[in-house]
Amino acid sequence: MSDVVDLAEFRTAFVVEAEELLTTANTSLLDIEKALRAGNKNIRAVRELFRAVHTIKGLSSMVGIEPVVGIAHRLETTLRAADRAGGSLALESIDTLLEGVRAIAKRVRALADGQPVAEAPSELLDRLERLESATPSTARQSGAGALILDAEIAGKLGAQDQAQLLEGLAQGRRALRVDFIPSPLRAEAGSTITSVRARVAKIGDIVKVVPISVPVTADAPGGLKFGLLVVTSESAQALADAVGVDPGMVYSLAAPPAAGILGAVLEAEPEEPSVSRHGVVRVDVERLDDVMERLSTLVVTRFRLSRALAELAAAGADVRALAQIMNENGRQLRDLRAAILRVRMVPVSEVFERVPLLVRGLSRATGKQVRLVIDAGTAEVDKGVAERLFPAVVHLVRNAVDHAFESPDERTRAGKPAEGALTIACFERTNSQLELTISDDGRGIDRKLVADRAHRPLPDSDAALLELLCLPGLSTRDEATMTSGRGMGMDIVKRTVEQLGGELTLQTRVGVGTRFVMHVPVSISIVDAFTFECAAQRFVVPVTMVEEVVDIDPARLVRGPTRRGGEAPRLLERRNETVPVVQLESLFRLGDRGGEARKALVVRRNGEPMAFSVDRMLGQQEVVVRPLEDPLVRVIGISGATDLGDGRPTLVLDLAALSGALSAATLEPAA
Amino acid sequence: MSILHVVFKVGGTEYAMPADEVLQMESYGGATPVPGAARGVVGIVQVRGRVVPVLDLRARFGLEPIAATLNSRLVVGQDGARSVALLVDSAREVLKLDPEQIEPPPPMMADDSQGFVRAVARMGERLVMLIDFKRVIGEERLHGE
Amino acid sequence: MGEILVVDDSKVMREMIIACLRAQPGLSFTQAASGLEAIEKLSLKTFQLVVLDLNMPDIGGIEVLEFVRGQDKLRSLPIIVVTTRGDDASRATALAAGASRFMTKPFTPEKILSEVRELLEQPAGAPR
Repeated sequence: MSDVVDLAEFRTAFVVEAEELLTTANTSLLDIEKALRAGNKNIRAVRELFRAVHTIKGLSSMVGIEPVVGIAHRLETTLRAADRAGGSLALESIDTLLEGVRAIAKRVRALADGQPVAEAPSELLDRLERLESATPSTARQSGAGALILDAEIAGKLGAQDQAQLLEGLAQGRRALRVDFIPSPLRAEAGSTITSVRARVAKIGDIVKVVPISVPVTADAPGGLKFGLLVVTSESAQALADAVGVDPGMVYSLAAPPAAGILGAVLEAEPEEPSVSRHGVVRVDVERLDDVMERLSTLVVTRFRLSRALAELAAAGADVRALAQIMNENGRQLRDLRAAILRVRMVPVSEVFERVPLLVRGLSRATGKQVRLVIDAGTAEVDKGVAERLFPAVVHLVRNAVDHAFESPDERTRAGKPAEGALTIACFERTNSQLELTISDDGRGIDRKLVADRAHRPLPDSDAALLELLCLPGLSTRDEATMTSGRGMGMDIVKRTVEQLGGELTLQTRVGVGTRFVMHVPVSISIVDAFTFECAAQRFVVPVTMVEEVVDIDPARLVRGPTRRGGEAPRLLERRNETVPVVQLESLFRLGDRGGEARKALVVRRNGEPMAFSVDRMLGQQEVVVRPLEDPLVRVIGISGATDLGDGRPTLVLDLAALSGALSAATLEPAA
Repeated sequence: MSILHVVFKVGGTEYAMPADEVLQMESYGGATPVPGAARGVVGIVQVRGRVVPVLDLRARFGLEPIAATLNSRLVVGQDGARSVALLVDSAREVLKLDPEQIEPPPPMMADDSQGFVRAVARMGERLVMLIDFKRVIGEERLHGE
Repeated sequence: MGEILVVDDSKVMREMIIACLRAQPGLSFTQAASGLEAIEKLSLKTFQLVVLDLNMPDIGGIEVLEFVRGQDKLRSLPIIVVTTRGDDASRATALAAGASRFMTKPFTPEKILSEVRELLEQPAGAPR
């Protein structure tokens, strides 16, 4: 049969979904561990973990990834037993389970990278199998006595469901039932059991939803209603609102003397409301890029339109009506652009989802205790930025645990808590910029040590210290440690941030701690930019990168002594600051302009200003930046190209990187 | 099974590459120079909304540069995610080549051409060099030359 | 020729099942990502066949089956249960709860196609 589909085609889709499930699995495992350490159980997390593993097993069997099927099967068996035992898992088994999840992740990655998928290690499979028999199998006792339940509902509830309702009551929350009747009318208005569940999940834990047959009526055309059993801290009114029904449809499940159980109040924190994934569409970033690409052609067409309009106006035509339409069109384009950019945004908290697992692993490997605090608030970031930035975050986190934190003994001797505090915070500095901070209360960075290692003079500021740390190949440890030995160096962290058009700064105090701050744009691709001309070539530079555009009075330029036979360095006096002036045309070998430049763009890097002289400023406009990624044209100081409407690429300059490269070149000991 | 090839001229010699490696052909009206780009790169151009580097094959093959003429063409080739435009003296022809017409390059040429020539196609008197696009655009030899 | 409801919490799985069944002309597809969503859709619209996963986050396939078979108008709706658990107990439970057919993952496109074809060709009301 030639029209039959080849399921191997679904491998890419499988990778995407599997990675999402693996994230769920890891998060659940950590939640379970946390609960176990506190002497509690997290039934929901066990169930979520079980389901994630189960789904991975089914999918991988369909697309024929046998090693994953094998590992997932062992995990599943253990977890099913745990789920049946009311979420009972031995604390010691968490490591093995994590290892199993990691082994799956590794194979999924290999598949994604087009690498061969390794067989499941039999030793791991054996250990997973041993877990199965070790899992306690005591079923939870049912305590339905304190709940009021209709027979039709009681029959559908498992002992665990009842236990979860009772536990909710014991924690001082409400156990409520609310009924939802689906109908085509309600579905049309966007109210379906799926959307109702999503809304209810925001204000409470859904213990169970029971479908109930009812006589067919005008209000219940499907002969069906759903009874939702919910544990919540919110009021009955809030629940009714979430479902979109009259508060009369909400019943309390607590038997009147339920207060009697309060003696057993647990100190468990209220669980985070589970974020529902319903109504969420997964889209390949590539497809979004494609949409952006199409938008950029629209923007370019608009540039051409406005040129044609200007020509018409210059020829004396009355273009008022046209100009008005152009304005309208401009506004619509901006709105469309904003809408597309919003689609590309992901919560920063999601970017950090994998950090706790990373820290846990590092903490194990190093024997250092770490208290991780992540505060990402509600900040959002472009998916593309997030993907580029994450490896840099990972590196800084690794560094903190590996190098910054002292051993628990050392810390205690220094009068610090044995647990090192690692804080990752992120907030929106402006509409377009994020500030991401990674700070630790470790030993701080020793300037002298770094200087010695780099064979450079002692840095006199944190900024200078950062420059040293970011020299390629510098490591502050003689021996590569097990965890940080490979990984990328600080130079790559810095370059990553700078490629995004951001800045990396450092504050450190010996014995007190270190803080890295990254300022990065929330999204890339479209930026507000200055256009200027230099030696008859046009260029573009992002407005955010330029501190000031200054006039140059050639008479007031100070020329320094000539170094190495090159051009005499020029200096500019500006508000009590001496600013070196770089002639862009000679730097880029663009040929002579004839005469002195009259304008200069001042940029600042690590607090040091530098001016780039240009012929004239042409204007300011929003441009779509396309990165120049081909190795043939990857050059420091050039971040991409844009089309200003003439169908030709115009270079987008990264003057900050250029100034950095120039200062580095002058710092370089003459070889 | 004959394979469609795009034929172009550089410095009087005919070269060819498989048509399915060619994204498109364009006339050449100049490129935006990129200061500091790899040797042989005359700049970037925009092709179908995509920005691609332009590699001058004369420079790449060690020939004297000439001013672009009306015949100059850009042959935009694709290798995986990379697209690179080759600047050639002219490109007019598309040829079907049979496997039996194709031979390995003579050893001496293989050495001299840095592996740019993958094979030679013989059609009666006519010799066409089949280029190895991946090698031609390979960056490893370009820097620090 | 028929509207099929495909119920699975995995989007990739639903897409795979639909891709398999596209070889049969005249079918259209509705997806449900959970047992509850399936029950809701079944109560509001008429389907000719259901492909049902057993393990889902809210209520499982068995519960869906039990509910559906308790409804007069859905009593003879063909339902193919598709699951990763191929053990005899699951099979027995699913068939007892009212599954028309029982298939284990992995299955081949040919296998699910032939099951669907057979079920759709049966005259209405014929024994399952």
